[in-house]
Amino acid sequence: MSHTDPVILALRALGETAGLPGDAEHAETCALCRAELARLTEVVRLARDEGAKERLETPPPQVWDRIAAAVGAGQPPAVPALNGTSAPAARDAGKRQGSRARWPRGRLATGLAGLAAGLIIGIGGAAGIVQLTKAPATRVVAQIELSPLPQFPQWQDAAGTAVMRATASQQLMVVTLRVPRKPGFYEVWLLARDGVSMISLGDLNASHTGTFIIPPGTNLRNYSRIDVSLQPFDGSTQHSKTSVVRGSLSASALDGGATSSH
Amino acid sequence: MDYSSDEDVTAAFSGGQPDALTLVYERFGPLVYSIALRSLGARPDAEDVTQQAFVSAWRSRDTFDRRRGTLGGWLVTITRNKVADALRERQRDSRVLLQVAGGAAVTAPEATSDRVVDRIVLADELAQLPESQRLVMVLAFYSDLTHEKIAHVLGLPLGTVKSHIRRGLQRLRSRLEADGVAH
Repeated sequence: MSHTDPVILALRALGETAGLPGDAEHAETCALCRAELARLTEVVRLARDEGAKERLETPPPQVWDRIAAAVGAGQPPAVPALNGTSAPAARDAGKRQGSRARWPRGRLATGLAGLAAGLIIGIGGAAGIVQLTKAPATRVVAQIELSPLPQFPQWQDAAGTAVMRATASQQLMVVTLRVPRKPGFYEVWLLARDGVSMISLGDLNASHTGTFIIPPGTNLRNYSRIDVSLQPFDGSTQHSKTSVVRGSLSASALDGGATSSH
Repeated sequence: MDYSSDEDVTAAFSGGQPDALTLVYERFGPLVYSIALRSLGARPDAEDVTQQAFVSAWRSRDTFDRRRGTLGGWLVTITRNKVADALRERQRDSRVLLQVAGGAAVTAPEATSDRVVDRIVLADELAQLPESQRLVMVLAFYSDLTHEKIAHVLGLPLGTVKSHIRRGLQRLRSRLEADGVAH
């Protein structure tokens, strides 16, 4: 007897009842077909695994910079993570997102709309930086290195970046911080020139990253410094006076894209 | 099966071409980073491991033998080694903390399961499929649609959908057998 049609094996692996009754019988008695079906079924099981949210994430741009610096390679990737490379990763994220919900068969249109939405939501589900770069017409206005202050020697190993992005309607700040995990939480502030006034942008997540909307109308010429503090869980909304890292918006960044500055 | 682009990347890498690392990073950066991120949780740690893995891969590129395995599989192995190093370092740190604090047990981080790595490899290969085939596979895996319904929904001939599914599954399986760890 000839072996089971590979198409039928593939469809059976997916859980479809494809083929004639004889196919099922053959696939069970023939060692070769049985093994092939088992291997394909394992792929399907792996893909449909409910336990995890595996998805591809694109490393943030600074990773390549550090690799290039370490090996002495000069050029950044021809397709930097901010556009090309992130696309498949983001799309893939969408697929995983889509997999959370199974669509009833009677709702094809909804299902497809859901798939499209999933692709978009998935982008949002990936790293913040991917989310922002895939949002319509955002552009990088400034990239600011955040460094520890000399008066806080305990933070000398901390480092961070703040990437400011602008869309037509708003400005966003993506902050990533490289610090040890400490009791408390990290909060991001904009500091005014007087050294007293400040605006709280919000808290960093457990991975020490955060995406914040800069309040519309903020005069960034005045609030030109970015500060990250370690805040104790004491209920106070005030800056703890423990600054972990700090950086300044450059004048060119302000001229280049600070649409909300006055 | 179309592995041409991976083969190009592998050839450039083996040949030590100056821009090869760029190509390798573009192709496999998300794979390495995702495994590291899933294994370590914290993004800064995953970034460190990603950096270490690619720097180490580049410096030891002479030891890579394309006849003995795929570049993807080699990178997965390097990544797992770097992840293991990072986890050991963490464990050391927490032991020190434990001594200092003299108290509560610190649970050792668990190594990434083989299954998790395989799922990420699978996600990576899915992302490499041509758009129309990828969509067919995504619907076949996640939508509960039969292949006839998929053909109907996507407006594709039934034969095309069948062939996408058969080749797609086989391609995913081959990639898992080459680069995965649970097989």
